[in-house]
Amino acid sequence: MDHLLQLLLNGLAVGAVYALFALGYTLVFSVLGVINFAHGALFTLGAYFTYLLIGGAVGANGLIAGLQLPFALPFWLALLLAGVGAAAVALVVERIAFRPLRARGSDPLLALITSLGAGVILVNLIQLLVGAESYSIPVGTLGSLPVALSIAGAKVRTVQLLLLAIAGVLLLALTIWIDGSRSGKALQAVSEDPVTAQLLGINSGRMIQIAFGISGFLAGMAGGLVGLSVSIAGPYFGIGYGLKGLGVLVLGGLGSVPGAVLGGLIIGLAEACVPADFSGYKDAVAFGFLFLVLLIRPQGLLGRPLAEKV
Amino acid sequence: MEAGLLVQMLLGALLGLSVYLPLRCGQLSLATPGFFAIGGTVAALLSTRVPALAGSGSTYPIASVLLEMVLAALLTGVLALVLGRMVLRLRGIYLAIATIALVEILRVVTLNLEFTGGAVGIFGIPQPFQSAEGYGAFTLVLLALVCWMCDRLEKTRPGRAMAAIRDDELAAASQGINTADTKLLAFVLSALVAGITGVVAAHFLNSWNAKLGNFDASITTLAFVVLGGSRTWLGPVFGGLLLTALPELLRPVGDLRLIVFGAVILVGPLIFPQGLITLERLQALWRRRPPWLALPSNRGRR
Repeated sequence: MDHLLQLLLNGLAVGAVYALFALGYTLVFSVLGVINFAHGALFTLGAYFTYLLIGGAVGANGLIAGLQLPFALPFWLALLLAGVGAAAVALVVERIAFRPLRARGSDPLLALITSLGAGVILVNLIQLLVGAESYSIPVGTLGSLPVALSIAGAKVRTVQLLLLAIAGVLLLALTIWIDGSRSGKALQAVSEDPVTAQLLGINSGRMIQIAFGISGFLAGMAGGLVGLSVSIAGPYFGIGYGLKGLGVLVLGGLGSVPGAVLGGLIIGLAEACVPADFSGYKDAVAFGFLFLVLLIRPQGLLGRPLAEKV
Repeated sequence: MEAGLLVQMLLGALLGLSVYLPLRCGQLSLATPGFFAIGGTVAALLSTRVPALAGSGSTYPIASVLLEMVLAALLTGVLALVLGRMVLRLRGIYLAIATIALVEILRVVTLNLEFTGGAVGIFGIPQPFQSAEGYGAFTLVLLALVCWMCDRLEKTRPGRAMAAIRDDELAAASQGINTADTKLLAFVLSALVAGITGVVAAHFLNSWNAKLGNFDASITTLAFVVLGGSRTWLGPVFGGLLLTALPELLRPVGDLRLIVFGAVILVGPLIFPQGLITLERLQALWRRRPPWLALPSNRGRR
C-alpha cells in the first residue's frame, strides 16, 4: 500500500510541473492562437537563474566560468526571482518574435518558426555562457527541512511535496485571477476576440504582454523546481519538457486552464505507472496520449469543440 | 567547397522539398524527419544484415542501394497512407503537433528496440561510392528527379488542386476537388521523398541512430521551407542548400554558430514573410534578364 502512495505522490509531483509548464503554453495560445516554442528555453533559463541565485558556482566550460554571485538567497526567494527573470525574457521574446508578425497580420504559423529561433538563441546563449555540463542544486538548499518524510508508512521526498504545494498555490492564484479579477476577465475577452476586446476598451496588446509575462514566470518557476528535484541536465533539458508540454496541452484542450492542470496530472501519473522494465518508453507516454486524443477528441478533455470557419 | 558539404546541402534540399509538398496544400506537417529516419534505418539494416546485397566487388553495388530505396519507399509510402488518413483530418497547429508526436514516438521506439541498435545505432554501413563526389553526383540526379516531379506537379491537375486547397479548402471542395485524397497524395509523396533521402543519407553518413530523426530535425527542415519560400519548389531547394551550408560557413565564428542560425530563423520570417523565393521575385528577375537569356520562341515572334 505504501508503494502505491509513493507512486501516486511521485506522479502527482511530476504532473504538477507538467501542468505549470502547459499553463504557460495555454495562456499564450488562448490570446494569440499560436504556440510559443521558446517556452522550453524559458524553463531552462528559470532553472539556471535559480541555481545562480542560491549561490551556485558556474563550471569551467563557459565564458563566465567560475562565476559565483557574492550572495546566496534562500531557495524560495531565488525561485521567485528566477520566475521574474524568465518573465522579463518572455516579454523580450514577445516583442521580437511575435509582435512584428502580429502588427503585419502575417500567417500565425510563422510565429512557430520565429519563436523557435528565439528559443535556439536562448539555449545556445546559455551554453555559451555556462557550458553544457549538468548542475544540481544541493540538498541543503531547503534549510532545516528534512530530506524525506514518512507519511502513512511511505517514504516521500520533501522536494516532491514542496513541488506539489508550490504548483498548487500558483494554479489556484492563476484561476482566481482569471475568473475573479477585472484584468483576468479582460484576458478572457481578448482570447475570445482581440479586435472586439479592443473596441470595448481593453488594451489587447497589453493583455498579450501580461499573458506572456505570466507564462514566462510559470515556466521559470517550473524550471527552478525541476532543477531542485532532479537536476539541470544542460542547456537543452527544457526542450524535452517543452515537447511533453505539448502533449499535456492537447490532452487538456488547447487554451483551457483547468484542462492544462488535468492533462498534466494525468500524464504525470501515467508516466509514474510505466513498469520499470519498459522505462525507456516512458518518454513516449505523453505523445501516445497526444496522438490518441487528437484522433478521438481533438478539442481535448476540457476544451471547447473546434469550430469550422467558412 | 568540399564535396562532403555539397552532398549534405543536396540532402537538405531534398528534405526541404519533402516538407514543401504537404505545405503546397496548406498542410503543415513536421513528419519529414520521421520518414527520413525510417528510410535510413531500412538502408542501415538491409546493407549490414543481408549479405546477399553486398555483391562480390569491393564497393557496395548501386543496384542494392536502388533496391533499398524501393523498399524504403514502399514502407514509408504505406505508413504515410495509413497515418495520413488519420492525421490529415486535423488542421493547422493541430496537424503540426500530431506530426511532432509521431516523430517523437518513432524516435523513442527506435531508441529502445534491439534490432535498430538502440541509442548507439548501426555502424559500418557499406559504401557504394569511394568518394564524396560519387555521392554528390548520385544525390544531384535524385534531386533533379524530385524537382522535375514537383515542377510537373505545379503544372498538372493534382498540383493545381493542391494549390486550390491551400488558398481555400472549402471553395476547392465545392469545385469538385477531392480534398481528402489530394492532401493524402501530398503527404504520401512527402514521405516517399524523405524515406528515399534517408537511404542515401545512411550510406553517406556511414552510421545511423535514432537522433537523426528528432524534433530539432523537424524544425530545421521546416526552416528550409519558411526561409526559402513555399510557393514554388525552388524555394525549399534554395532554403535547404543555404541553411545546410550556413552552420559550416559560420564555422569561423565558432561557438556563435548556432546563435547566428537561431537569429536567421528568427529574423528571416520577419523580413521575408513569403520566403526568399516568391513567384513575384522570379518574374521580376525574368523580366530584367540579360538579352542573351531570351527564349528562342520569343525571339522568333519579334
